[in-house]
Amino acid sequence: MDMKEKLEQLFLQVQKPARYTGGELNSVMKDLKDVAVRFAFCFPDMYEVGMSHLGMKILYAQFNHEPDVWCERVFAPDTDMEAFMRQENIPLFGLESRDPIATFDFIGFTLQYEMSYTAMLNMLDLAGVPLRSADRGEEAPLVVAGGPCACNPEPLADFVDLFFLGEGEEVDLEVINLYKEHKKRGWSRKAFLRACADIEGVYVPSLYDVTYHEDGTVSAVKPLDGAPARIRKRIIKDLDSCYYPDYFVVPYADIVHDRAQSEIFRGCIRGCRFCQAGFIYRPVREKSVDTINKQSHDLCRSTGYEEFSLSSLSTSDYTQLEPLLDSLLDWAEKERTNISLPSLRVDGFSEELANRLNVLRRSGLTFAPEAGTQRLRDAINKNLSEEEILDTAAKAFKGNWTAVKLYFMMGLPTETLEDIAGIAELGQKIVNLYYANPDKPKGKGVTVSVSASCFVPKPHTPFQWEPQDTMEQLQEKQQHLVQSVHTKKISLSWHDSRTSFLEAVLARGDRRLCQVLEAAHRRGFHLDAWSEHFDFEGWMDVFRECGLDPAFYANRRRPYDEVLPWDHLDYGVTKAFLIKENEKAHEAVTTPNCRQSCAGCGAACWKEGVCVENR
Amino acid sequence: VLKTVRVVFSKTGRAKFISHLDLTRAMTRVVRRAAIPLWYTEGFNRHPYLTFAAPLSLGYEGLRETMDLRLEEEMSMEELVSRLNEALPEGLTALSAAEAVAKAGDLVAARYELRFDCPPVVLNTLLSKPEILVEKRTKKKTMKTIDIRPAFAKAVVEAEGEGTLVTVTLPCNNSETVNPGLLLTALNAGFETPFHCRVLRTELLLADGCPFR
Repeated sequence: MDMKEKLEQLFLQVQKPARYTGGELNSVMKDLKDVAVRFAFCFPDMYEVGMSHLGMKILYAQFNHEPDVWCERVFAPDTDMEAFMRQENIPLFGLESRDPIATFDFIGFTLQYEMSYTAMLNMLDLAGVPLRSADRGEEAPLVVAGGPCACNPEPLADFVDLFFLGEGEEVDLEVINLYKEHKKRGWSRKAFLRACADIEGVYVPSLYDVTYHEDGTVSAVKPLDGAPARIRKRIIKDLDSCYYPDYFVVPYADIVHDRAQSEIFRGCIRGCRFCQAGFIYRPVREKSVDTINKQSHDLCRSTGYEEFSLSSLSTSDYTQLEPLLDSLLDWAEKERTNISLPSLRVDGFSEELANRLNVLRRSGLTFAPEAGTQRLRDAINKNLSEEEILDTAAKAFKGNWTAVKLYFMMGLPTETLEDIAGIAELGQKIVNLYYANPDKPKGKGVTVSVSASCFVPKPHTPFQWEPQDTMEQLQEKQQHLVQSVHTKKISLSWHDSRTSFLEAVLARGDRRLCQVLEAAHRRGFHLDAWSEHFDFEGWMDVFRECGLDPAFYANRRRPYDEVLPWDHLDYGVTKAFLIKENEKAHEAVTTPNCRQSCAGCGAACWKEGVCVENR
Repeated sequence: VLKTVRVVFSKTGRAKFISHLDLTRAMTRVVRRAAIPLWYTEGFNRHPYLTFAAPLSLGYEGLRETMDLRLEEEMSMEELVSRLNEALPEGLTALSAAEAVAKAGDLVAARYELRFDCPPVVLNTLLSKPEILVEKRTKKKTMKTIDIRPAFAKAVVEAEGEGTLVTVTLPCNNSETVNPGLLLTALNAGFETPFHCRVLRTELLLADGCPFR
């Protein structure tokens, strides 16, 4: 039996084979004789998760829009499939052609969260491609990566040939085109990578030499071979004219977000100090109502989706939200298509619009106050007041809603046990508000779900110097929260502090963590994002074997003058601004959002979006 | 009263790995994509009316499967078929459409072609036994032992290349359904290296042996 026949047999023996078979509606097939470049777009997690990701859908369609480029999708196989693949010697393949991705020109990963790093290494291993860039020969595929975690890619520096910083639509194709040129005029991997380093937004880690002080901190990052000393991220200047797919691949299998998605803007005006996305995607740039309307309608028509959502950070900040919804509803109502919206702004809508959006059909309201007291919300610059939360909840209760979800973080800088108790108090106030409503539905109670995650300090944020609470501190706070809740109407849940600890290590790690990741991979760790596969004690063994202390990365306060492993990567926001924001956090002073006034973060260097709007 | 339209379609190649639940969802989207004026059920949770006569197990191919829908507006059946085919993904093809004649309950049996990768003698030996007992999972998820010999009594066994083609008509109705895969289960019970079998459902049948339309 050849590999493809073996695969057909395998599909009959695994759970949910539709995750591996390809051939879904709108998936792209090409004739190899027309194809010059084959690109394996890998999402280092399982199909259900990866197929929900908007960025992958955009780049898949955009690459395939090029006549001579064939981009295929690749996901991490589930454990049963992986066991069969290893047993039968079936290498990781592209879903479209079912060809081994080791024969492709590019293997590209999108890095959405740190806990997927081991899945990435496992996928390279399953593909039969050497993990380390230095071990890959001239003809091996180029391993490239992008996404938010590329803003500190140092823990992956030894495995990836080049990283894309910032938004991919332009820079990815520039690299592919350069690749075609180099292939035509005589291929040298080294020469190609050196040439790529001159493209803005491309970071070739092998062209930088990192040295360390005796205490383990970075002493210098030195560019080699004339590579630029600082690498600046790329942004798309005009989103209206930027490529956006008019189709998505429609999966057969049930996935996490199975709907059309329209991106309405990039960036965020808010500047919440813990939020990496709020800083690395600056400046805010909106799409016009007409563009969004057309793109949404095209997508719904080509996919047959019965639902679509508007995608962005803090969606309610879109300046033309009501006109946009009006024009979307014009056709969505006729075609029986639902618009899914975050619930926060429900109170701001007119009654007519709220009715048309079917908001009452939903049963729950979700808020992310992030912190339990106003002081701490000020410190993290989360400009959401208790009054706003209670007002919205009161309106929702009048509309017969009975469930409220609240998201918080524990372990935020400057947090005390008083702030933790504040989480329970806010929940209690919402419970009381429900019972104070004379028209509440008869015989129905209220459910307030409080979810508390553990704060993870991230690069390129004002909290990049902050120590993460130790796991013991976080567990103590979790206990305190449990003791502060005095009603059964509040249900509590929280994240595993051990996962957050490892996430903190990898988020602000340096190149020495490459050996840790490789050792973790050799132990068989992968799919660490799935709690049933996460072996914390095993990870700690790996750190000990490698002679590295994870607390050095997670729990240490870093001085402002320390060279951070990602200091040579330029996301537009200046270090001086981040220092100022860090200081303001410790004084619990807020910063106005980008539309109120410019805080001078540095992103105005692009002269785009909110930075040049009339305020 | 809205009339029910019965679409005959094939499900082959990559599409054989679509489970029945996933097929229902996919077809709803195909019909929307094809801009066919589908009738939606009344009530709080309105959903399009779309049903299948008999689910096809995952991994099996079907040459003439049926799907029933109700239309809100008149449209020609040729138009319906051609619009569906423009919207259908790889492996699914609409063959014809017409107003449904038979009721869903009139379906009694299905004809299958089973292709085994073993010589006919192996199957003839199995089928000549007085009884063929296999374990079958019941709806309550318990196992029960049944004799499939009577269901396969009229099976035709012939050589095809190096393998074997078994043609058989099996019950497929509300009171009794026999999954053709049970023959493979029985066959492999006695062997260490399993044989394989490709299952193709060629027709859904009424009591008089005519196609279910």
